[in-house]
Amino acid sequence: MSEGVHSSAGEPRRHSWIGNPRDFWGGVVLVGFALFALWAAGNLPGMRGFAFGPGTAPRLFAWLLVGIGVLVALIGMVSKGPRVERIAIRGPLLGAVLVVAFALVSRYSTPLVTALGMRQGETVVAALVVFLITLVIARGEDRGPLYVTAGILIFAGTIRPLGLILATFASVMVSAAATLEVRWRETLLWALALTAFCVLLFVYALNLPFVLWPRF
Amino acid sequence: MFDIVANLALGFSVALTPMNVLFCLTGALVGTLVGVLPGVGPVATIAMLLPITFGLPPVGALIMLAGIYYGAQYGGSTTSILVNIPGEASSVVTTLDGHQMARQGRAGPALSIAAIGSFYAGCVATVLVAALAAPLTSVALLFGPAEYFSLMVLGLVFAVVLARESVIKAIAMILMGLLMSMVGSDIETGQSRMAFDVPELSDGIGFVVVAMGVFGFAEIIRNLEERDATTRSIVAAKITGLMPTLQDLKVCARSILRGTTIGSALGILPGGGAVIAAFAAYTFEKKVSKDPSRFGRGAIEGVAAPESANNAAAQTSFIPLLTLGIPPNPVMALMVGAMTIHGIVPGPQVMTKQPDLFWGMIASMWIGNLMLVVINLPLVGLWVRLLRVPYRLMFPAILVFCNIGNYSINNAPWDVGMAAAFGLVGYWLIKMDFEPAPMLLSYVLGPLMEENLRRAMLIARGDPMTFLYRPISAVLLTLATLLLVLAVLPMIRSRREQVFTETST
Repeated sequence: MSEGVHSSAGEPRRHSWIGNPRDFWGGVVLVGFALFALWAAGNLPGMRGFAFGPGTAPRLFAWLLVGIGVLVALIGMVSKGPRVERIAIRGPLLGAVLVVAFALVSRYSTPLVTALGMRQGETVVAALVVFLITLVIARGEDRGPLYVTAGILIFAGTIRPLGLILATFASVMVSAAATLEVRWRETLLWALALTAFCVLLFVYALNLPFVLWPRF
Repeated sequence: MFDIVANLALGFSVALTPMNVLFCLTGALVGTLVGVLPGVGPVATIAMLLPITFGLPPVGALIMLAGIYYGAQYGGSTTSILVNIPGEASSVVTTLDGHQMARQGRAGPALSIAAIGSFYAGCVATVLVAALAAPLTSVALLFGPAEYFSLMVLGLVFAVVLARESVIKAIAMILMGLLMSMVGSDIETGQSRMAFDVPELSDGIGFVVVAMGVFGFAEIIRNLEERDATTRSIVAAKITGLMPTLQDLKVCARSILRGTTIGSALGILPGGGAVIAAFAAYTFEKKVSKDPSRFGRGAIEGVAAPESANNAAAQTSFIPLLTLGIPPNPVMALMVGAMTIHGIVPGPQVMTKQPDLFWGMIASMWIGNLMLVVINLPLVGLWVRLLRVPYRLMFPAILVFCNIGNYSINNAPWDVGMAAAFGLVGYWLIKMDFEPAPMLLSYVLGPLMEENLRRAMLIARGDPMTFLYRPISAVLLTLATLLLVLAVLPMIRSRREQVFTETST
């Protein structure tokens, strides 16, 4: 990455054995994905006589993807193309940290939550953790992917235990921070207006079964 | 001929009840409203708005969804013309001449010719759907598992060939989609596959979840990093004079005819649909024009032809869904989802078992198109005002509507979280120059393909040659191979030249 500092994003990199890093690394990741799928489908029974087993089709497509992934990577070595932007790696990776943190906390925080006396609050704790991590790690151009992801996860974590009103309000406030142009006073009013609109539309006009407020 | 009239009459008697007209109208309006938002195409729009149709009776729900679909399409064209941001892939070409016209102060005629072209295309396509539905349903009876499989292969090959990026990368996307669609329970044995004992994964990953993540969230993240996304150049001039001149109409009449023909033909093919129809119509129009240099500088034909084509295609793409039960594109896959929610299994039996629903939906297509002309055109001013809302306010609203829509389909917070993960996947794909559309199509077709592949192999006692022994299947596969070869050949040639010039310098 460091050698690309002086060249702009659109300019092909020189003096490298990888001519088109987007294709090369894209292919490599696809091969990784296919190998992961092969591992995941490894214990499934295959062909029984001439009948497909549950594992036949996944393994067939996974091996094909290994082949195509290698091909994409090879083409990426001989062709020329723009370099990989920093955000293309950092954004998804840091975002994945949030998703994984959310999943882990909501699955394994039951002892802590019961100790605190909150009933079914695991996902709320998970949403809180996601928010705190985002506050700490989101800097510069990483803000976009991180705050958008955090906003969605916070909605997922709070909609059931805290109800539509708080979930909508919190997720609008958090995701609004995804751009540096955010103006907080305006955002506050906007979040209130959106929450009111969503409640009126989805709960009163459309009669969808939403819980409005936290249940204790 | 008489059958068509009788069937359409039945359809209109269903679709023209006040309630259904109201549903259609609401759908078209709301669809346009959401479709106008930048970066929200028909797939994201329908996914977002699915829950508002839950409470309706099946016929009303599907009519409303059809209205939303056309509204979203039309909304996409509106943004293309006024802001130079295509709301979706099928209106990319509309930006070329449409926005130029708007800059010359002719936004009104551009918008209305788009609507008129779409309406004409809609009329033709409605009749076409009505005329072709019955015969094609009988063709469906000739289709066994092998033929279904080969047809879907052809559809995927179409999606590959039409991809803007490299063919190989599109194939990789297809395989990735197929693999992802295998997560969940095995169709025959019910065994859990690649679900890691996560109960939420035992039913697989919902299509709306993937579509919303890859098409909705990823697009928002990408928009956020482009500075000009927040300060877009909206045509400032007031839109005066909606109607095109007589001269315009004369020029466009033929373009609309040609666009409609191209669009109707391409829409029927699985995998193609509206996007390629618009591109093909534009290219063709440029070729037959006496003065091709006008294109890209505000030629009204450059708006009329692709807009008619994409609308015709949008409509005829209902044909494979309604007759064969195969969704030819992601939008139709969402329609399948909606139908299943209402207990309808799309396929040839819909027409015979639920004629009111089938023909009602076809008739409502036409009504939906009429709504767009009658109601949406006068509202252009409103859409423009909506576009002036800064993006910093718009995207949190889009996000939260997406979340609510996504959550209310299964009342599952898990789905919302998964969509966030797929948003990151989609963003990565865009950044690495992979196109997500083929992946989504194969994700939709995956379970159907596997089922038919397995059945075909079982019937043929494990002999893969069955796909070539059966004539229809053989023809379909030959076509697919030919297309693929045609698409790959020029690429290899140019790539070799590229390599050679590199080594020689």
